[in-house]
Formats: sequence, structure tokens, C-alpha cells
Amino acid sequence: MASEAEYPAAEAIGPPIELPDFTGPLDLLLHLIKANDVSIYDIPIALICDQYHEHLANMQELDLEVAGEYLWMASWLLHLKSRMLLPRQDESQEDPREELVERLLEYRRMKELAALLHDKDVVRRCLWSPAVAAELDTGNTDVDWEQVDLRVLAQTYLEVMQRFSAAHPPPLQVIPLRFNVPDKMQEIYRTVLHEGSMSLLRHLHTRTDTEEVVVLFVATLELVRLGAVRASQRKPFAEIYLRKGSHPFTEDRIADFAEAANGS
Amino acid sequence: MDRDSATSLVEAILLTARGPVHVEAIAESAADEGLDVDAITSVLHDLQLEWDSSRRGVRLESVAGGWRFVTPPQLDPYLRAYHGIAARQRLSQAALEVLAIVAHRQPVTLPEVNFIRATNSTGVVRTLLDRELIRVSGRKKVVGKPFLYRTTSKFLVHFGLERAEDLPDPEELIADEAVSAE
Repeated sequence: MASEAEYPAAEAIGPPIELPDFTGPLDLLLHLIKANDVSIYDIPIALICDQYHEHLANMQELDLEVAGEYLWMASWLLHLKSRMLLPRQDESQEDPREELVERLLEYRRMKELAALLHDKDVVRRCLWSPAVAAELDTGNTDVDWEQVDLRVLAQTYLEVMQRFSAAHPPPLQVIPLRFNVPDKMQEIYRTVLHEGSMSLLRHLHTRTDTEEVVVLFVATLELVRLGAVRASQRKPFAEIYLRKGSHPFTEDRIADFAEAANGS
Repeated sequence: MDRDSATSLVEAILLTARGPVHVEAIAESAADEGLDVDAITSVLHDLQLEWDSSRRGVRLESVAGGWRFVTPPQLDPYLRAYHGIAARQRLSQAALEVLAIVAHRQPVTLPEVNFIRATNSTGVVRTLLDRELIRVSGRKKVVGKPFLYRTTSKFLVHFGLERAEDLPDPEELIADEAVSAE
């Protein structure tokens, strides 16, 4: 049996030089029971408890981190030890060790099964199977539904959603206009009136907001169309100067225009 | 289809298949040839005998409800040398314990596994999930809705089992030990 390998340090009863690796407090307890050659159904709690604590002390001495589970078991053993010292009232009273024995038995069963799996693993991990089809992508990646790992399902869902959002970027968002044409028309017209002229390109270049530039330009075009402003440019790409046009721009006309703009 | 053709067909499918092949799947792929499950099973058993020779580097095995070709274990060192694989990742004692618990009591939750081992198995469970030896099969309808774990078909293949129920009862193992100790 593989159990020989699992209990390699029988000398651990005395002061151990090398501590075997235990997978948990129950593993350590089973080891002590086996090492002392005592029955699992009639554990000499005082003896085992002392050895258990000795073992923990050794672990601490070797600076091994003693996990909380080991300490929890240590306190359980101490509790049992003290209860065992009390004389039992009558025979029908429950043995205080009963729960521990049940836990040990269940754990030992699983350990036996683990040993069996270990034996199988030793041989069977040396098997190789054909790798031909791994290179072929048949596109057939159907999975038996009984074999589906929910983790994989969740992963697949996330992948699908990622693909979906990549294929469907968020739709155009209509955000409220921060600038509107009538306001800008008024702004330009006033500048033209007060200063006599306005350098359109220079003004646009000082704006950092693209949206404002667009609105300013559209407003200029509107003003030119309405004849309120006259635009002149000496040569291509040169500065555009805005001057007062032939049709004066009144508050009424702005109001009319704003209404028309909102209505459309 | 005569028996020789059937044998070659079965062999070809097994050689190119990914994982163990179910007899029904072979029958389906040759449905027009009038090959039934019984005929194919008989072919498979003959093939198994035929390949089971010390001169051959391939064996036919029945595992996880299907059939597959594998190499005999004693050739592993040479195969590893050829493929440049230094050593295989072993399953730790803790991993084997958790596997044993999941295999025997599935579906089982992490708190249940932790209770039996009296130690925390979170990391081990994650490793086993990554190695596809166990899978999440649902959630238990109790407080906290913990995940339920089951073994996978990869587990069956790795440990050479037809079904998870084929694992021996742990009680039997202990009884065997008691007998052999006497």
C-alpha cells in the first residue's frame, strides 16, 4: 500500500529531526495513532494530545507556519483530554471522543481512496494518446452538456459579451448642444458692430473647443446669408474679415431665427 | 462491409480521434455500411488482443465509456526524452485527497471538502479546476449558495475509470488492508 510512503518518519514519536509533510491536523493525528499502534476507536487522548502539542512546538521551533486548523485541533484535543479526566456518570453517557473518531474515520476513508488514486496516477500519467487530431481544427468543439464546467460557461459568456460590445460600439449619443447658432450669431454681430471688423480665422484659432468652432462658423455663414455680415478674403487661405453687411441685424430677426432653428 | 474493412475503419477512427471514442459514434459514422454496435464492439475486442503484444508500442484501452489508443507506461521515459519533457507535474497529496472526496461524494461543496479534511482546500480546488479534473456543476441551494463540484471525463480518462461509480468503496479498501495486515 502507498501508506508506507505516506508515513515515512516513524521516528517522529521521539524528537523528530525531519518533520513529515502533513496535509492537515487529521493527517497528523492519524499519523500519531498509527505510530503509537493504538486503536482509532479507543484513542488514548492524553498521550496523543501531548504528542500532538509536542509536534506543534517542533513545527514552531523550525519556524514552520502553524496553520490555524492545527491550533483548532490542539484546543479540541485539550478539551477532550480534560473531559476524559472526569469520571463518567454512567455507561450510557456519550464518549466525548465519538465525534473525533467519526471525523478521523471519514478522513481515513478518503485518504485510502486518495492512495488508490495515487497508485493509478503513478502508472497512468505515463500514458500517451494520439495527438493527430489536436492539429486538425474540425470546428467541432461541441461539449457534452454533462461535462460543462460552469466556470467555462461563465468565461464563454464574458467572451461573447466582449465580442458583442466590440461589434456593437455604443450608439451615437445625443448630448445637449453646449453652443447654439443664434447666440453665436449675436456674439459675432456685436463684435463686428463694436469693432468695425472681425478677423474670423484668428478668432476661430483661439477656440479650444471644436464644437464651438463649428458653431461659430455656421453662425458666420448664417449671418452672411442673411446679409447682416459681409465676409472678405484677399486670397485663398488668407484671413477672413467680417464687416457690417447691408441688412442690419435686429433683435427681432434674431428671435425669428432662433424660433426657426428650434422648430426644425 | 466485411470484417477487415470494419477493423481498418475502427482503427483509423481511433487513431485520429480526440479522446476516447464511443462505440455508438463509430457506428454512426458507418451507418450506411450496416455496422451495428455489437459488430463494432466485437471488432474492438479483437483489436485490443491484436495490439496487446510486447512488439507493439500501442495498446487499445476501454476508458470513460469509450475506446482509445495509448502507449504502454514503460515507454514513457523515451517518449519524454523524444518530446523534450523533463518531468511530469505530480498531483500533490492534498490534491489527491480533494479528488478522492469529490469523486466519492459528488456533487460536493468546498465547505464540505474542508470539513472532511479539517483544512482549507481553496487553492487545491482551483488547481484541480485548472487541470480540468473537476468542474463546477452548479450551486447548492443552501445559505451562501456554494459551488458544487464534480469530477470530469478527463478525470475518468486519467485514472482509467469507466464511470466515477467504479471507484471502490473506501470501506472495502480499509477491509482489504485489515486482511492483509493479519
